[in-house]
Amino acid sequence: MTDTLSEALELDPVESHLHPEGSFNVDDHPVPSGLEEIWRFTPLKRLRELHKDAPLGAFSLKREVETPEGVTALSVPVADSARGLSGYVPTDRVSARSWEAASEVFEITIDRSVEQAQPTIVTLRGDDVAQATAGHLLVVAKQFSKATVVINYEGTATLAENIEVVLEDGAQLTLLTLHDWQDDAVHVVTQHARVGRDASFKHVAVSLGGDVIRASTSADYVGTGGDVDLLGLYFADAGQHIEHRLFVDHTAPKTKSNVEYKGALQGQDAHTVWVGNVLIRKVAEGIETYEQNDNLVLTEGAKADSVPNLEIETGEIAGAGHASTTGRFDDEHLFYLQSRGIPEQEARTLVVRGFFNDIIRRIGVPEVEAKLREAVDEELSLTLGDAP
Amino acid sequence: MTDYQFAAPLDLVVDGAALPVEVGGVEIALVRQGDDIYAIRDECSHASIPLSEGDVEGSEIECWLHGSRFDLRTGKPINLPATEPVPVYPTRIENGTVLVSLEPVQE
Repeated sequence: MTDTLSEALELDPVESHLHPEGSFNVDDHPVPSGLEEIWRFTPLKRLRELHKDAPLGAFSLKREVETPEGVTALSVPVADSARGLSGYVPTDRVSARSWEAASEVFEITIDRSVEQAQPTIVTLRGDDVAQATAGHLLVVAKQFSKATVVINYEGTATLAENIEVVLEDGAQLTLLTLHDWQDDAVHVVTQHARVGRDASFKHVAVSLGGDVIRASTSADYVGTGGDVDLLGLYFADAGQHIEHRLFVDHTAPKTKSNVEYKGALQGQDAHTVWVGNVLIRKVAEGIETYEQNDNLVLTEGAKADSVPNLEIETGEIAGAGHASTTGRFDDEHLFYLQSRGIPEQEARTLVVRGFFNDIIRRIGVPEVEAKLREAVDEELSLTLGDAP
Repeated sequence: MTDYQFAAPLDLVVDGAALPVEVGGVEIALVRQGDDIYAIRDECSHASIPLSEGDVEGSEIECWLHGSRFDLRTGKPINLPATEPVPVYPTRIENGTVLVSLEPVQE
């Protein structure tokens, strides 16, 4: 029963059912039991108490930074930093704890109107899983700038991290996060992007290594014309848990979003989770959104969970849709290729390459594209033997 | 030759109920039916819920969240939604204590 006109018209902000309002206060986020909707897929026992009270030390990963002209990257104490600029408020306990524990913020700033074809590359390398560590990254793309930022995660760590991304009006930013961890890394990362008027943000999440990766990625809009493209590629091996949670909050009219994640799984107890959600708020008329997740289960014993969601508060939109597929290798593809004289092993490799190439070709950073094609071949060689 | 490790004193394992224990880093639910002791991995193969929190009925244990039941002798699921078996371990009673081998029972 609604009592007032504004309630009846739903003029007040609508809360997302899947993504409620956050809080900076750790105590507002009780220790999850594993039954909560946002935690039910995550193997809490393997998080090394990150979700409970494991002490979070200062950022301990070694950082190598390559910045082209017009881009600055430096670490600043929390007090002097611009953190919070993206409007992000922690939505789960790990993120709130990391926010509280971080002592420094690594800030990457792309100057106004700079157009830089050369990517900024940050390589983070850890060597300690025993001491959990908290990280905070802030990427700011100033007005009308155009740049690419690549974050490589290597070595091993137990890392709780927050990433904020701010695109000012008219900025174009490609952010690539590449999880190339060793087998024992645990990484829980929450990323939020605020997209300015006519700005366009492309994020590519690549998850290959690590014991548990849980990446929550969200975006919202300041004004009309914002465009968000969230692409993902993941490859889970035996025993690995790779989880991606996406949330696009259409907070402005005439904005666009596209979410597309593709993953392959191989080996006993390889587990991937993809949960996508798009909230189209009442104000967000004329928006266009699509989200898609495809999973290729290469062997027995692997499991892919895929949950696309849409929360729609207005019907005055240009388009909204979602799709999800999870399947094993297509025998007909294989048969067709073999009928053309291609040996079985090579045919299998070609099909998986083709599956991933759909994402890789859209990254737009040639050296990264080449590296990922190699990485996919390397993963495949585990079950299919060496690539031809 | 399998190696049996201490799991719990026998008198703590109450007839018809499950006792959660940890043996060599593995979480196990011990269930007693008269003179028989069963040991089953304390995690449902469907949604990772501790089986020891569920009800025991005859030679079956039920996961409380979605109602899958598992045969305590084989670890096999009896009904949906679980489809994968849960490992079960051989047990032995010696001098009033329950011993468990961490080598799962093979079918």
